[in-house]
Amino acid sequence: MSQPLLEFDRLRVDFDLPNGTVTAVKDVSFTLRKGETLALVGESGSGKSITSTAVMGLLPELARATGTIRWHGGSGDENLLTVNRKRLRAIRGNEISMIFQEPMTSLNPMHRVGRQIREVLHKHTPLRGNNAYLRVVELLEQVGIPEPKRRIDSYPHELSGGQRQRVMIAMALACEPQLLIADEPTTALDVTVQAQILALLKDLQARYGMAILFITHDLGVVRHLADSVCVMQHGEIVEAGATKALFQAPQHPYTQMLIDANPSGHKAAVPDSAPVLLTAQHIGVRFPITKRLFGPNRYFEAVKNIDLTLRKGQTLGIVGESGSGKTTLGRALLRLVKSHGNIHFDDIDVGQLDRAGMRPLRSRMQVVFQDPFGSLSPRMTVGEIIGEGLRVHQPLLRRAERDDQVIQALEEVALDPAHRHRYPHEFSGGQRQRIAIARALVVKPEFLLLDEPTSALDRSVQMTVIKLLRDLQQRHGLTYLFISHDLAVVRALADEVIVMRQGEIIEQNDTQSLFNAPRETYTRELMRAAFLDSPAA
Amino acid sequence: MLSYTLKRLLQAIPTLWIVITLSFFLMHLAPGGPFDGERQLPPEIEANLLASYGLDKPVWAQYFTYMGNLLQGDLGPSFKYKDFSVTELVAQGFPVSLELGMWAIGLALLVGIPMGVIAALKRNSTVDYMVMGTALAGVAIPNFVIAPLLALVFGVFLAWLPVGGWNDGHWKNMILPVVALSIQQIAYIARMMRASMIEVLGSHFVRTARAKGLSEIAVIFRHALRPAMLPVISYLGPAIAGIITGSVVIEQIFGIPGIGRYFVQAALNRDYTLVMGTVVFYGALIVLFNLIVDLLYSALDPQIRYDNE
Repeated sequence: MSQPLLEFDRLRVDFDLPNGTVTAVKDVSFTLRKGETLALVGESGSGKSITSTAVMGLLPELARATGTIRWHGGSGDENLLTVNRKRLRAIRGNEISMIFQEPMTSLNPMHRVGRQIREVLHKHTPLRGNNAYLRVVELLEQVGIPEPKRRIDSYPHELSGGQRQRVMIAMALACEPQLLIADEPTTALDVTVQAQILALLKDLQARYGMAILFITHDLGVVRHLADSVCVMQHGEIVEAGATKALFQAPQHPYTQMLIDANPSGHKAAVPDSAPVLLTAQHIGVRFPITKRLFGPNRYFEAVKNIDLTLRKGQTLGIVGESGSGKTTLGRALLRLVKSHGNIHFDDIDVGQLDRAGMRPLRSRMQVVFQDPFGSLSPRMTVGEIIGEGLRVHQPLLRRAERDDQVIQALEEVALDPAHRHRYPHEFSGGQRQRIAIARALVVKPEFLLLDEPTSALDRSVQMTVIKLLRDLQQRHGLTYLFISHDLAVVRALADEVIVMRQGEIIEQNDTQSLFNAPRETYTRELMRAAFLDSPAA
Repeated sequence: MLSYTLKRLLQAIPTLWIVITLSFFLMHLAPGGPFDGERQLPPEIEANLLASYGLDKPVWAQYFTYMGNLLQGDLGPSFKYKDFSVTELVAQGFPVSLELGMWAIGLALLVGIPMGVIAALKRNSTVDYMVMGTALAGVAIPNFVIAPLLALVFGVFLAWLPVGGWNDGHWKNMILPVVALSIQQIAYIARMMRASMIEVLGSHFVRTARAKGLSEIAVIFRHALRPAMLPVISYLGPAIAGIITGSVVIEQIFGIPGIGRYFVQAALNRDYTLVMGTVVFYGALIVLFNLIVDLLYSALDPQIRYDNE
């Protein structure tokens, strides 16, 4: 066994808030050895990110850390919580570097990427001028940026999310650190990009022999990458061990729950005799890219010539990566964005209707959005949010009757109706998504557009929302159009799946056949990247 | 960039047209006329005067005449300053106002930005509360209160500086009006700078900069300052326009021969052409400064490019 590199001994982090002290991390002890990959796993709020930022002395101002974090990477061993600022700055970016969850915002938007990498070299190495330039090019090449000599002069916004994360990695590796802390580095990326970044990290680790402290909520990633795992819950490590042993025989109930939290179950297909609820033909959506004073505008074709049919009681899943047009297609079907083509809902030609004509249909087709934090008005109580649809569609309803229906809707989504006078910020992410579903259900729709309704939620919370959606479908015979980038969730909920890429349908089949025998290379790639090919998933 | 500039200038035409038209008719709605003095003029002389300036015609006809002349760049003669055209008066007063305004804006940036940055770095400390308290007072006290107070203290009691006059822009004459003009702007800029600096210091790329091992000075000057200044830059357009129009009061108090003083006197005298001339000029100025600021903004922020080609 190799030598210890980083040792946590009873790390504790408290936040001194105006209304008392909150303990975010309690008695965390573990050891990371040279060249090893250790994963800190947990759901949001478990304290895993706080633990990792304590290493670099990057804790928020209100935080107070006690205990020790021993670092053996320098000349002697030292406690990172007590070293002086100068020494800490010499460690940061040099002996220990860090990459973050948010590739879109972690780079300075006003500096060219080459300059941002060169800055690390200037700080920690004697490389200057052309030598520094050559090293930056070499680093960009190593992290797989195409045409590094041209890209060195790009601004971050000119790169894709995956490329920005590669630049972050190049910056982190510039001084060949002994430890790389990776805080959810692939969470914000598409699955195929995630797979590329993980492979890159593994490859670079082998080349540089560095240790990796990997913070993630994604057990699929852990299984493929980590040598050992620490599972965190409520600021404490509840279980630790070698990855293989831990996955085979999890001891703690929370670990078991995390491992079992993969969406399971299947939906039976509706018979072909089921009546058709919605048909769409030749649907296309385009957005102007440039508006020019003279000459024609140029357009971006977000959705190209798509046909689909939904039968009553069906769940049609649409999967695809960001930019594939799946959300735009969903919105076009509900006439939330302008499109061309024909849409029929229950034999009504939706395309012929004006705004007022659409209104009675709106109560029959409802939508639940991805972001449970942004899609509920923070200034309205939950009761008002849910009741608003009733005010519009059933204006003659008396207040008491409306209140009854709001209570009923909340009961349907298993929330306490007594909480209807509270505001959205008083609820957790999962509860907010239930509120969003109740808001859609209260007007008794037949068709629900679910746009990534589980993507912002922890796996264990996802499970309960999926179960809820399933129950509601059975109880009310609802028809779903389920949009997601998460193949595991789609597999559990949909009876038919469409795979989209660059605005087009690549593959369409019933769920079983599509997942058992994908025809297209791209579909297979998506499934491999989502770790759906691994036996235990 | 060129096509964007052109587009913005074209868009300014309807804006200016609305401003001009509204002011024209509002001005004629106001009671009184340019030749109503203390002493009643004999009716035949007044009729002659009105006829010679075209004021005997219906208002809409005057409007079309005015617009026609304006399109040819002719702002007309002043009714009160005989022998001067409005263009001459504006050309005389504007350089003075501009000089005053630019010094004031320069001072406001020079003092306001560091104040905001220091407050942000020491946030929720005594320093922060003192800086922000001063700034709040600066916002709250109008400049027509500050100006006479400054003149009283530094001009009368201490007798360090002249209480008024321009003296061809001697620096001693400029200090008090420049300070009086800039105090409110300093306060605004400091408050804005503090808020945006706090936001930027909490951003992900500043965390990245710290994680690279950079010193706090490098983090602030190399990474945080420029993005934090963007809101201040976008405020500069209206601020410059505001400072030049705001100098109406200051110029009056300190007796400075700028364009602002003409504006007030022209309005009181019903000197129609001079009022219109200053309105047109101010309007064009505001449009122009806003455009300059937007172009500057795009030069500072690489994410904003006005042409995709």
